[in-house]
Amino acid sequence: MLKALFNILIFPGFLFLIIFGLAAEFYDRKIYARFQNRVGPPWFQPFADFVKLVAKENIIPEQADAYVFKLVPVFALTSVVTAFFYIPLWKTGALYSFNGDMIVVLYLLTIPTVALFLAGWYSCSVYSTLGAMRSLTQLFAYEIPLLTSILASALLANTWSLSKITVFYSLHPGLWAFNLLGFIISVVTLMGKLEKGPFDIPEAETEIVAGSLTEYSGKLLALFRLTIDIEMIVGASLLAAVFLPFGLTLHPAIGFILFLLKVLLIVSIISLFRTVLARLRIDQMVNFCWKYIAPLAFLQVLINLIVKWTLVR
Amino acid sequence: MGFLKKLVNWSRLKSPWILHFNTGACNACDIEIIAALTPRYDLERFGVQLKGTPRHVDILVCSGPITRQTADRVIRIYEQMPEPKLVVAIGSCATSGGIFDGCYNVEHGIDSVIPVAAYIPGCPASPKAIIDGIVKLLKSMEEKEKSS
Repeated sequence: MLKALFNILIFPGFLFLIIFGLAAEFYDRKIYARFQNRVGPPWFQPFADFVKLVAKENIIPEQADAYVFKLVPVFALTSVVTAFFYIPLWKTGALYSFNGDMIVVLYLLTIPTVALFLAGWYSCSVYSTLGAMRSLTQLFAYEIPLLTSILASALLANTWSLSKITVFYSLHPGLWAFNLLGFIISVVTLMGKLEKGPFDIPEAETEIVAGSLTEYSGKLLALFRLTIDIEMIVGASLLAAVFLPFGLTLHPAIGFILFLLKVLLIVSIISLFRTVLARLRIDQMVNFCWKYIAPLAFLQVLINLIVKWTLVR
Repeated sequence: MGFLKKLVNWSRLKSPWILHFNTGACNACDIEIIAALTPRYDLERFGVQLKGTPRHVDILVCSGPITRQTADRVIRIYEQMPEPKLVVAIGSCATSGGIFDGCYNVEHGIDSVIPVAAYIPGCPASPKAIIDGIVKLLKSMEEKEKSS
């Protein structure tokens, strides 16, 4: 009981995720600044932003549904933190696991997007409604390729449990190389999920002010920003567990450092593409995902089926 | 309680987010404000970020004299900002009305409708002056909090 509480609240739960999430946001912003030949923010910047927002006045618009408006960020934060417990981090096997937890994790990671939609919709402002519609449209574009590419990896391992996937790839070293295409696809779709890089269409600040979060201020905005930071960590560690499953059987300390490095690698890729690519339009994004990314994801499934029939048997 | 208050004050000084609003300027000050936000000057060193919505920001950066058309709007934007909030007037026109003062369609400077914390004169105010002004404002706030 005490151990479970420790796991949930401190390590590798809430507190660890907050610290790691804020650190990853700093890392992302710093290398984004360095790519643009700037100095960039100091190391405490995300923490200072968070504390400042928490201490600010909380405005709830008169027309907004106050109940949903206040509930939705908490809901989003809880779901991403919950998803983290089912992902194997630095050893084979997660803290908690059951058969089919892969689907649960993917659904829990969808909830922040749905929360953003609800937040925008119940703000009853034109900009936030537009942002809400865009984030939902975008969800339909990236969710299928992401699920398919992760499913391809699971097909090869012949299980729907993330912990058993890591066990399988640790027993068959080298097989993860067949999932490289899936890794690229899922990084692209993760950028869509996090609304970063060329896919920041729902919060396009030059078009629709701040998207769904236009009416949010103070504590609730701080919670949403924290949710997006933690979602980045959880998404990156999901990809690290499924597509980069090496070093999991080593000593836990080495495995932990490897885990941090893997997550930072994925964050670096996301920041790189955020710097070099301009924002797409929503129709271009949907076209791109359905014309190129989704067929490639199905190709990955085909590759894995062939590998399964020829090599793994 | 003392520690928490110190932490909050520190965070307010370290992360001022700004909103830029043109209250009727000739665009020269706006171009200089945008120049101050480019990688050449890099305001993110001080934690400054340009935001699109008044709900997210701490500092309202105004340029230009208040015209009769914008007077209502600037009050509305000011009221949409969550507390604590500050206003910075950039350029000669924003501080006093400048050469437009006395025109039939122009009120005076920004402080004729909303309270202003810092005035940055210049026609237009250069990016270095804007950065200097904002840093001085933050420093004066810090000293005020230390003395109180």
